[in-house]
Amino acid sequence: MLNFLEILIRGLMLGSVYALVGMGLTLVWGVVGIVNIAHGEFVMLGAYFAFWAFSLLHLNPLLSVLLSIPVFFSLGVGIHKKITERLVKEHELSALILTFGMSILIWNLAQFFWTNTYRSVSYLTGNFPLMGLVFAKSKTVSFGLAVGITAGLFLFLKYSKWGKAIRATSQNPEVALVCGINTMKMRMFTYGMGIALAGAAGTIISLQWVIFPQMGASYISKAFAIVVLGGLGNIHGALAGGLIIGILEAMVTQYLSAKMAQIIPSATILLILLLKPTGLFKK
Amino acid sequence: MRRPPLQKNHAYLGIAALLAFLIAIPFFASDYWITLVTLILIFTVYASGWNLFSGLTGYTNFGLAWFIGVSGYISSLLIADHSFSWLFAWPIGAVLTSIASIGVGYILLRIKGVYFAISMVALTEGTRELFGTEYLTAITHGGKGVPFVAGIKLSSLYWAILLLATLTLLICYKITSSKFGLRLLAIREDELAAETLGIRTTRDKIIAFALSAFLVGLAGAIHFTYQNYIDPSFAFSIHLTLTPIVMTLFGGVGTVFGPVIGATLFTFIHEILWAELSLLYMSVFGAILMVLILFFPQGLLGWMKEREILPRIRKI
Amino acid sequence: MSTKEPILRIEGVVKKFGEVLALDHCSFDVKPGSITGLIGPNGAGKTTLFNIITGVLQPDQGHIYFGGEEITGKKPYEIARKGVGRTYQIIRIFPKMTLLENLIVVGKGRERKVIEKAMDLLHLVKLSEKRDDYASDLSFGQQKLLSLAQVLMLDAQLILLDEPAAGINPTLQNELMALVHRLNEQGKTFIIVEHDMKVILGHCENVIALNYGQKIAEGSCSEIERDENLLEHYFGR
Repeated sequence: MLNFLEILIRGLMLGSVYALVGMGLTLVWGVVGIVNIAHGEFVMLGAYFAFWAFSLLHLNPLLSVLLSIPVFFSLGVGIHKKITERLVKEHELSALILTFGMSILIWNLAQFFWTNTYRSVSYLTGNFPLMGLVFAKSKTVSFGLAVGITAGLFLFLKYSKWGKAIRATSQNPEVALVCGINTMKMRMFTYGMGIALAGAAGTIISLQWVIFPQMGASYISKAFAIVVLGGLGNIHGALAGGLIIGILEAMVTQYLSAKMAQIIPSATILLILLLKPTGLFKK
Repeated sequence: MRRPPLQKNHAYLGIAALLAFLIAIPFFASDYWITLVTLILIFTVYASGWNLFSGLTGYTNFGLAWFIGVSGYISSLLIADHSFSWLFAWPIGAVLTSIASIGVGYILLRIKGVYFAISMVALTEGTRELFGTEYLTAITHGGKGVPFVAGIKLSSLYWAILLLATLTLLICYKITSSKFGLRLLAIREDELAAETLGIRTTRDKIIAFALSAFLVGLAGAIHFTYQNYIDPSFAFSIHLTLTPIVMTLFGGVGTVFGPVIGATLFTFIHEILWAELSLLYMSVFGAILMVLILFFPQGLLGWMKEREILPRIRKI
Repeated sequence: MSTKEPILRIEGVVKKFGEVLALDHCSFDVKPGSITGLIGPNGAGKTTLFNIITGVLQPDQGHIYFGGEEITGKKPYEIARKGVGRTYQIIRIFPKMTLLENLIVVGKGRERKVIEKAMDLLHLVKLSEKRDDYASDLSFGQQKLLSLAQVLMLDAQLILLDEPAAGINPTLQNELMALVHRLNEQGKTFIIVEHDMKVILGHCENVIALNYGQKIAEGSCSEIERDENLLEHYFGR
């Protein structure tokens, strides 16, 4: 029997990874104004990135996590430059439908080239005991990586020039214009960061769960729940939201059923939008 | 820019001839063709129903499959477990779905823009998961689905959906050129301004939503009777939401006949792609969706109106 | 002083946004058939007041009466149907609808009557030739005229204009104000928010000055004009 503390820790570990995905979505949505339904597909691509690097190039997955950040950043910048930037001035629903199409395109291509086989990276296996509790190595390392990336993101947003500009824009889009920030460049940069977060989250996920082409769907619904919980464009809110979703999932899985746990994101979105549509947290 | 009456008569004659042809199809065509046209008509109702609400009000309904699935489930279970005739099961499914949609609309339609779209996705996904859980197995048969036979001949089913599609188009035609339709457009353009000009936006949105739910729900009930099978992942599938949206976008959002053109074309595309390219089928759909939004957002009829190939009136 | 009952009565209205007091116990009356100017620096609460009168925002305290009937807490469409119309500072027409549709959509009653009335109003604002154009094709000034025509379509008795003269050329400005006077002679009441003091002093009978959400002065134009202190202090003249 797992005790309560163990489930709580498991939830926190889960949540730390979900938070990465959610922070990426909320950044892009809040700052660029593009709702990226394909966000979950970049998580999937990140997972496959680590998988192929490991199985073909024998690259250490921990290295893949670091490598994925510049790779997915560039990918995001490219996609935004070529595609989504055209929609910035359009009605936000255009982007919603476009990225919906992009999402389907990406997972179906992944399915076509990589098949529906469930895969996993068997790198860190086994458990270790600590203070009377048992921890899976992979999950603990994942947690460490997620915390590290989150800390890096927060430092970046707090101290770098670009980071400050991004925070200012997420709080008030007009500020950026007034302060003479090149908004187009900043949108590209932010989009790249959002995708990098999704990709990095994917590589981390590959350490502990099976990966398959349609896995993005479950992450996008969690990411939306996180954005709604934390408030649009609110990075700290998204972190808290990610942890909440993770803990809820661990609890429901343990005390009800895994099937019921799948309802959490939908139920959260509906409840929060009805009760407190601005999210639970202040900016 | 009113069209001369002679041309108008031509249009009516053409429509009458087309209808006569469609009614006659079961008398001479093979089952393959009847099936194909049945699917076109089902998707015509889905696309027109989506367009009736989302195309006019600008509230993107990403939960069309919820209408289809709920009504499909109610009618299928009535037929399978309670030995209802399809003749009663279909309208009961559609009416109950429509009533439920009033409740859903009352709650969710106060949520604007992207959030509304997401909340409809969440509702659909949540309902799908719920229908598959062990807690509702007694009613829904859980995730393993419900096979059933309704005992309706293909030709009768065909005429039923033809009647529904015709009615749907008539309703869309009447609404888009009515003051009610203009009010829905005004909501799309600027909801707050509409409200301060005395338009009861909430009421109008809910009426359009419930009407859309009724028509789409009825088509959904027919769809699953035609399939003789229903299960949660099929009934609440994202495809059932996506395909009608693609069809409408292609034909022209907010137009009367755009969804029909889209439904016809894409059902054929589906036939060809599914046979030739089934593994990449969804990729093609995704890519088309992207191309439409980027390069062709007004759709075929919208584009023709812009170029004045067609008159710029709402009745087309 | 007229003994007529006020068409609009604002009574102790308070509105807070978080910690900021946008309106602070604001009270005044508006006489039927008058043109009242509402002045004050940016952020004084003018637009907030319009939003509260039209039901877009709810006041935290206080009451609003229109024609003697309390309209506090009523929905925007209810207030509009009672006869309060408004235009917005940033124009809010329906861009992808034709001019005629922009008016028909507001009208009530039989379709033929509605269309007739819409055409009359388009004539009035001199836009009848463009009736089948999209509203988005109009110039900024023309859009303001269309917006006013929408309010007239509503049969509004009290019309709130938010910066009607801003951003349009002087010819159109004069045309618009001439129209306001003509409608005023037919009995319509106007409240005008405007930064341009020339417009206010040239067209309004009464002026109400707001600052920090409080009414700081009220009077006829000449009284306000004489109040050099006020003008200098708040409008930098």
